Amino acid sequence: MKKRLSLMLVTLMAFGSILAACGGGEETAKTDTTTPTETATTDNKTDETAATDEAEPAAEGESDAIGLTEATDMNSNPEAAKARTDSMIIGTTAPQGVFNPLFHQTAYDVAIDDTIFAGFIKVKGDGTYENDMADDIKISEDNKTYTFHIRDGAKFSDGTPVKASDYLFTMKLYMDASYDGQSDPLSWNIVGANEYNKGTAKEISGIKVVDDQTVSVTVSDYDAMTQVNLGGIAILPEAYYGKGYKQGDLTTVKALNTKPMGAGAYKMKNYSAGQEVDLVANENYYGGVAKVPNIIFKTTTDTTNMAMLQSGETDLDNITVNEDNVEELKSMGFLDVDVLKNNGYGYVAMNNKKPMFADVKVRQALTYGLNRAEVVDAAYGPYAEVINIPQSDVSWAYTADKINPYDYNPEEAKKLLDEAGWKVGADGIREKDGKKFEINFSATAENPVVDALIPIMTENYQELGIKLVTETLDFNAIMEKKDRGDYDMFFAAWGLTPDPDSTVYITDGAQNNSGYSNKEVDALYAKGKKELDLNKRKEIYAEAYQKINADAPEILMYQRTNMLAINGRLDGWDITPYKEYQHSLSQVEVAQ
Amino acid sequence: MSQYIIRRLLQMIPTLIGISIIVFAISQMVPGDYITASQNPNMTAERADQLRAIYGLDKPPVQQYFVWVKNMLTGNLGDSFQHKMPVTKVINTYVWNSFAIAIVTLILSWTIAAFVGVFSAQFQYSFFDKVVTLLVFLLMSLPSFFIGLLAIKYFALDLTWFPTGGMTSAGLNASGFAYIKDVASHMVLPVTVMTVLNVGGLTRYFRTGMLEVIRQDYIRTARAKGLKERTVIFKHAFRNALLPAITLLGFELPGLFGGAMILERVFAWPGIGQIYLASLNMRDYPLMLGFTMFLAVLTLLGNLLSDILYGVADPRIRLK
Repeated sequence: MKKRLSLMLVTLMAFGSILAACGGGEETAKTDTTTPTETATTDNKTDETAATDEAEPAAEGESDAIGLTEATDMNSNPEAAKARTDSMIIGTTAPQGVFNPLFHQTAYDVAIDDTIFAGFIKVKGDGTYENDMADDIKISEDNKTYTFHIRDGAKFSDGTPVKASDYLFTMKLYMDASYDGQSDPLSWNIVGANEYNKGTAKEISGIKVVDDQTVSVTVSDYDAMTQVNLGGIAILPEAYYGKGYKQGDLTTVKALNTKPMGAGAYKMKNYSAGQEVDLVANENYYGGVAKVPNIIFKTTTDTTNMAMLQSGETDLDNITVNEDNVEELKSMGFLDVDVLKNNGYGYVAMNNKKPMFADVKVRQALTYGLNRAEVVDAAYGPYAEVINIPQSDVSWAYTADKINPYDYNPEEAKKLLDEAGWKVGADGIREKDGKKFEINFSATAENPVVDALIPIMTENYQELGIKLVTETLDFNAIMEKKDRGDYDMFFAAWGLTPDPDSTVYITDGAQNNSGYSNKEVDALYAKGKKELDLNKRKEIYAEAYQKINADAPEILMYQRTNMLAINGRLDGWDITPYKEYQHSLSQVEVAQ
Repeated sequence: MSQYIIRRLLQMIPTLIGISIIVFAISQMVPGDYITASQNPNMTAERADQLRAIYGLDKPPVQQYFVWVKNMLTGNLGDSFQHKMPVTKVINTYVWNSFAIAIVTLILSWTIAAFVGVFSAQFQYSFFDKVVTLLVFLLMSLPSFFIGLLAIKYFALDLTWFPTGGMTSAGLNASGFAYIKDVASHMVLPVTVMTVLNVGGLTRYFRTGMLEVIRQDYIRTARAKGLKERTVIFKHAFRNALLPAITLLGFELPGLFGGAMILERVFAWPGIGQIYLASLNMRDYPLMLGFTMFLAVLTLLGNLLSDILYGVADPRIRLK
């Protein structure tokens, strides 16, 4: 009897732990799925200022949930945080130790590089750009020659001046045949870049060093992004990185990845892999010495980051957005909580090349017939919104004009399916030409959206008379199925660059996952890329989005949010979805 | 003896070749590569082709395999795609952090398991034995991240006895003893959790080993001679009960360097386990394959070590 009791206890405990395992798995999965969409995207932007377009039909409770909530009770600030008067500690997922803007990949390496390096232009809050290390940029009549003038007093952290030749040197590294970073430098179309890449020329003929402070770059073809591509690169000092560099071999440059040097507001003092990065203010910074002399980037994980903010061990961290976390952070009282729109969106791709999805009515019906608001609410609560065009609503290119919101409407969906020739069969499943309407749906496992989506989607589509067969797969496995064209539907998410130019919806575009093709959309994207006037571009992209919205090539799902929690003792931030926290670090000060 | 060791080492070569073929083949069959796993929204088809050419991923798999093996023979495991530095350097950066907690855990869990196992064998079916048995099964069945989080909650947040995570305090500029003290305080929680998880299974080994030995005739003889119970247990029985455990010790070798994927994440410990896991997710083949081969070599060496130690400890199977 006794034995049986203890056995039962053990079984009970084991069962309890399985339950716990499920709960925890979800939590870790959340960050896993977040990370890939946050991979570094090379800054792409146009230059003009843009008006924001806020004509969106607001979802319930939106104004409350998204935005900044200031700290309410600074007296509760832990002593540990108050004691740090000359430093701040930023909690971050461990960077990979690639502290070189040419090669960095994760958002965490990027954040650190942004404080150490500087370029000719820098990003503004609305996603457009302004002059940074260049005080003058001239563009020739034909838009093909760009002349940058470096401001007086621009120096690297070792005190040596930033010269035009350093810019040329950095460009050579980008054009090198062994360059394996995330940028695509040959697509910048600089004259002579291909020759340098192939090793047939020792210099890049399109880049001319006029004098120490002036450099001009000629491109063979321009588009809206040319100026950002050319001016946005961080400049590396040739005297430091150039030692031992030979054309075609970047080994010696990469060897300095953990000992970076640039012209930014901070310089690196110490890096312990997986633990912390210590930065000190660069006393030679042309923008004025940073107000907080020391910054420590300390590694945290999703299991420790809240606890460390609470105990005052960190001053700033990125926390997974959900109602519990937001509530807990706000209740601490001494934290500013900033919920920001994520630059990206989730969608359900449909294989437009398959006969059943080739019909626009079927695609529209599947969009109408899915209760997207319910899915998004179940996955993120008020911290995500249903979207109807593939663009962030904080972008200048966003439009809500003449956009069909595809509100959940099963009757409309049924009507459209009937019109498309899919009739309800004897078993309740629709059929056409003797074929049953059955959809194979692939999605990644352990993703909060997928967990909410699958049951709702199965039920919604069953009501329409469509059988949904679901499978959960590894992300790469889904992508492989996509490449083979062997799929019906899958769920995935895209990251958005600040510039609306993309290949997702153009015929045979590199990122066109759904096989969608519309000649008019192709033409509009081509036109938008070539147009430099922002207001004209706005109209072009609005038209493209209206067409995409009407064609419903995929079921657009949601735009989610990210959350920053910052200790209230730090003031002077200027943070937007486009201008991340690291861009205002040099102006932040400790409030007394 | 040395002849035996040399023979065994030579036998490792075909085994390693087999392992390398299997591991490489699996990596080739897994869908996706580093370029697709990066999910760069700006990646054009041309750039993807350029990158595959730079990494040699455009070559046929058989050729890729021989290039990899050839480089490996010269001690070059290639450059990690993610870290943009040699794989050996990446491993060297992180593996010692994992080793530090693993070795302390090993010593602690073996010591505790040996004592607890012996006592519960000596007093079989006593109240102590039953409590231990229950506890052992309880601890074995707990998932690591769950007690990890629980430990953080109680000991780091509520009681503030230990730091919440990481290996050193942020901005610590200490060296020597102060540094060791800081690292030690950060190690307490992860080491405790790992020990608690390991000790369960080990205790069962020791208990079983001891139970077998304690019933032997020579133990009865020792007792009959009038020896003290302590001498009988620890001098006569314990040494023999340890024999099967020696085999186990050899298998611990790869574990010392393998890292703990889940717990390193929970405690933000900068170990190799997390790095290895990321290399799998990101399809960072040079790092993934390199580290897998490193573990394979350690496993084979561990096997050899336990065979040799067994021979040293037990004259009955000593090799001629």
